[in-house]
Amino acid sequence: MREVHRPVPRGRTFHGGRLVRHVDILVVGGGPAGCVAAWEAAAAAKALDVLLIERDRAIGAPVRCAEGVGSKGLREFLDPDGASWVSRKISKVIFWAPDDTEVNVGGGDVGYVLDRTRFEPALADEARRAGAEVEIRTEALSMARENGGWRVRLAGPRGESDVLAKVVIGADGVEGMVGRWAGLDTRVPSRDMESCAQYVVSNIDFDPDAIYLHFAEQWAPGGYAWIFPRGEGVANVGLGMVALKSDGRNARQYLDSYLERYFPNGNVTGLTVGGVIVATTVKRTVTDGVILAGDAAHMINPLSGGGIVNAMKAGRMAARHAAAAVCAGDTAAERLQRYHDEWMALLGDDHLKYYRIKDALSRLDDGFYNGLARTVNGIPLEKRTLGRIFAHALINHPMLLPVAARFFV
Amino acid sequence: MPATLTTRKPHQIAVVDNDLCDECGLCMPLCPPEAIHMTRKGLLVDKEACTGCVKCIAPCPVGALFMVDG
Repeated sequence: MREVHRPVPRGRTFHGGRLVRHVDILVVGGGPAGCVAAWEAAAAAKALDVLLIERDRAIGAPVRCAEGVGSKGLREFLDPDGASWVSRKISKVIFWAPDDTEVNVGGGDVGYVLDRTRFEPALADEARRAGAEVEIRTEALSMARENGGWRVRLAGPRGESDVLAKVVIGADGVEGMVGRWAGLDTRVPSRDMESCAQYVVSNIDFDPDAIYLHFAEQWAPGGYAWIFPRGEGVANVGLGMVALKSDGRNARQYLDSYLERYFPNGNVTGLTVGGVIVATTVKRTVTDGVILAGDAAHMINPLSGGGIVNAMKAGRMAARHAAAAVCAGDTAAERLQRYHDEWMALLGDDHLKYYRIKDALSRLDDGFYNGLARTVNGIPLEKRTLGRIFAHALINHPMLLPVAARFFV
Repeated sequence: MPATLTTRKPHQIAVVDNDLCDECGLCMPLCPPEAIHMTRKGLLVDKEACTGCVKCIAPCPVGALFMVDG
């Protein structure tokens, strides 16, 4: 019998009768963490094969986020000036106390409200330019240890296939499975989960250069409501709340009440819902051949609920450690632990402090915030630094002392 | 035999209403036995694994999870 020889494509081998693709680094999830991880990994070593997979039809959609981001952190990665993925530049922060007392803080280059349907594609373009492959509509179904790496089953537009990766970076978000498959505990207690709902609301009156944060048990128990401008008269209006403190209504119902009270004439479109994990970083972010980054590793700032820049920083860090590990031929947990340690030193340890502050603040009632708002409004605007606000808060509200003690100890 | 020994209290488990569900995945890490899965047909609760702890019910932002008799 004559055998027909067909060349096996580069980077693939036959394995158990199946054509298996080989990559050095597989990044699961095309959010900020995953896109930056693919970008940095491909840029770190040109010789590395880097594959980024995204389950959804497009990178950046659907959006599950309020899209606000601090200026300084963002600029470490991309230049926002004149970028198409910026909805609005933000120059001030306005806090609303439970009794609607307004407190104006900050000024200058505060941050941006992004258009994440364009922001993540811009990051993914950087990843492609650096040499990474990006595949959309492709999800990981399972993974198993094989030959010192991971064999990951993928389902894509052309059916199911297997990929053998030396390192898998799990940037698969709140609902992430990579950590679970690799035996890492990524579960969250209910008290550390904020349920969020947001509408895009137009025809409303507010300062389009400010973001608004509204603290009130009545409107968002355990969290806050926000107004993030997308343009003049148009904003992302949403809230995050802790279900354990709810009166029985879900986040969407709380938001409907909020809009009825504050923006009864607004035109409501596009509902966005999602969970924000306001916990500290998972105990183990790495295991043999696996690194978790971003929401998948609970790297959100537990006090603010912000996670975009954190995710990008973690993605960059994960990529560099993964690339170095692959190049060194050692992808064991002991080596990847350097990533965990570096993350904890950069932000993880701060999150432990923020978590304690959040915990202490959650025990204070609306009256405290109303009083604090009036105290802060007694400080001239140009002198309203966070340190000074904190000092005044301590003098006038001794009950904050335990918070300060916990923060500084 | 006393009724308490013969009548088993109905064991309730969580189900997802896929018409309401927005597939945000918030419930997945809340589930202690990791019984909630994202599938091509939407979120699905593994009936065998669900312990009926109700931790996933209230946090759902759109109220898409319910307890039913298992």
